[in-house]
Formats: sequence, C-alpha cells, structure tokens
Amino acid sequence: MRLVKCYFCSSTIYPGHGIQFVRNDNKVFKFCRAKCHKAFKKHRNPRKVRWTKAFRKSAGKELAIDSTFEFERNRNIPVKYNRELWNKSLEAIKRVQEIKMKRQHQYVKNRLKANTAALKEADYEEVKQNIHILEEPKVKKEAKIKRATQVIQEIDMDTD
Amino acid sequence: MATRAHFEKSCEIGVFSKLTNTYCLTAIGASENFYSVFESELAETIPVIHTSLAGCRIIGTLCVGNRHGLIVPSSATDQELQHIRNCLPDAVKVQRVEERLSALGNVVACNDYVALVHPDLDVETEEIIADTLRVEVFRQTIAGNVIVGNYCAFNNAGGLVHPRTNTNDLDELSSLLQVPLAAGTVNRGSDAIGAGLVVNDWCAFCGMDTTSTELSVIESIFKISGAQPSAITGHLRDTLVDT
Repeated sequence: MRLVKCYFCSSTIYPGHGIQFVRNDNKVFKFCRAKCHKAFKKHRNPRKVRWTKAFRKSAGKELAIDSTFEFERNRNIPVKYNRELWNKSLEAIKRVQEIKMKRQHQYVKNRLKANTAALKEADYEEVKQNIHILEEPKVKKEAKIKRATQVIQEIDMDTD
Repeated sequence: MATRAHFEKSCEIGVFSKLTNTYCLTAIGASENFYSVFESELAETIPVIHTSLAGCRIIGTLCVGNRHGLIVPSSATDQELQHIRNCLPDAVKVQRVEERLSALGNVVACNDYVALVHPDLDVETEEIIADTLRVEVFRQTIAGNVIVGNYCAFNNAGGLVHPRTNTNDLDELSSLLQVPLAAGTVNRGSDAIGAGLVVNDWCAFCGMDTTSTELSVIESIFKISGAQPSAITGHLRDTLVDT
C-alpha cells in the first residue's frame, strides 16, 4: 500500500482518507482532508499559504535542498526481488531517516541561532526602558521589612 | 497453430492477455480456463503469468510489450510492477510510463522491430518505447482510426489490419513495417483485430467466434502453420477484403 503526500499540505495520506481530483490532462491531485481540498478549489497557492509544508520550505523555514531527499522518489523501473537487497534497503531507509531528522533539526537550530543576538539586544533594551517596574517592588519590599523590624523592636521594648 | 479461446464468454481475448515471443500475460479471471489455454500451448517455452494492472483485468489494453520489454501505464501499482518484474525473464525490461493516454495497448501496436503509435502520444513516451522495446516508432492511423493497437495485430512475419483499410494505406503500412499485411476480421466479422487476437511468431490465439476462414487467414498471414501468405492475395481475397 502506498502512502502518498497531500498535494496541498504535503502531509501523509493513509488508506481510506482524503479525496483525489483528476484533471483532464491526467494530472492527479490528492488531498488529505476537506481543508486542503477546499483551499485547492479556491485556487490557493500552497506556497503562499503559511501552514503548508510548501510554504515553510520555500520561505526557508525548513530544510528544502538536501541529498537525503533524493532517496525518496517514484521509481518506474522495478528491480527484481532479492532478499539481501531488500534487507539492506530497509536498513538504509532507517539510517537515511535518522540523518534526515538530524539535519532538519540542525537547520532549524541554526536558523534560530542567527537571531539570538538581536533577541538579547531587544531584551536588554526592554529591561532598560522599563526598569521602574522591577525597581518599585524592591523598594516597597525593603520598606515593608523596615517597618516590620521597627514594630518588633517596639514590642520588645514594651515587654522589657 | 491458431487456437480459439474466450475469457468469461468474451471473445475479445486481446483485451485480457498479452502475448510476445518471450512471455505471456493473462488476466486474473474467475476460472482458470483462459489461463489453461495459454499454458497448454506455451508453458514449455515461455512463462505464462497471471497479473492485473491498476487492479483491472484489461491488461492487454493497458500494457504494450515485445520480446525486449514491457511498458505499463502509470496507473499500475507498485505491487503489480514488482510481481511482473519478478516473473518475467531478466532480459525483458519492465518500465512504467507517465502518459496521458494510459491505455497503452490501444495506442501502440508493435512487433520486435517496429511500432505504430497514436499520433497524439507524448514525445517522452515515444522515446521510452523506442528505448525499452528497441523498436522504430511511427505515428500512424489505421483506416482513419487513431487507436492503432485496437485495429491491427502483427508479428515479425506478417500483420492483420482493419478490414476497411484501403490498399494505399495498406501498402504504406506494409512498407513501414517491412512485413506483408492483410486487411481482415476476427470473431465473425469484428474489425477490432488487436482486441480479438493475440499473436507471436509461432502461435496465435483468437476469440471463440472466429470462423475457420478467418482462422486460415490468420494462420497464413502470420506464417504460423507454415502456410504462404500468397493464399490471401489469391483465393481468400475475394471473400475477405472489402475494397
């Protein structure tokens, strides 16, 4: 059983799910759910809709160009069954998947890292501008402690 | 020897089977009779294989092949493709093509050297056909019909085409294919030759309705029983060719 990708959002379509549309030039469009199908009928471009994989890839938010993507594709010329080859392929699939995940995570990390300096700068600026919010409770707290100690001292003096 | 067969009462056996010089594909029917007919004739020499394409029984209409290869449409599933690959000899190339005209058996007619194809077929598909089947490809129509695979059948020795093909076309086709051709019918006057008949270099199968006259034309033009094709241009011509 083949698990295909949704034309619109690129999520996996499992058997028994979704709907497909065949255009009169024999191009098949598969959709994972009504949300994607409706978006297609409204002529939305998946690259411009922010929640799709296509958008995330074209906007540089996720790893888009990598050698690990070369492995998964439609093959039109079949290879004769060979147990050893299949076992090896299965091992290879797992390994490729592992590497792919690692690279994807690293990509996101790197993307976010570029921004950390700017974020820190912004935080610093914010604290600097709104320092009174932080200072006031401190002052109040000190005053409260001062008052409390004074009261305690008075009580002590009375008892003496 | 030409044999009569039928697939679940249907005489259009070319729709449900594909016969070449190195393999034979048959559809998966309710009974094994159809398969047995092929098996009894061919099993000693070439593999006879049960298969479906895109979950359908109309495999003869959907795929095209010859001694060198087999081409299946994009609607064929991965499992079917794998099954075919596992069953066919290694020398036979198997390939799936992305083609708008997915009934490849209807739009392509071929022997081991030449292929006639539908005039609207993709250039890419044409190249794949040329490479995989090792044939020379010609875009042609037969008696004005674009679905060439349905209206003709030919092997390396001869061919049968739609009965209304005129003599000029017949000569042209004959010179393209480099084999003698005859205009004729199968299945008691049916003009769908490719659908009613499967043929390779040493045997032929046709629908149960085929008359003995038609059978003798088939045997002689395809040179199956050792008869000469001159019989067609001679005494059989008047009864068969409608010109």
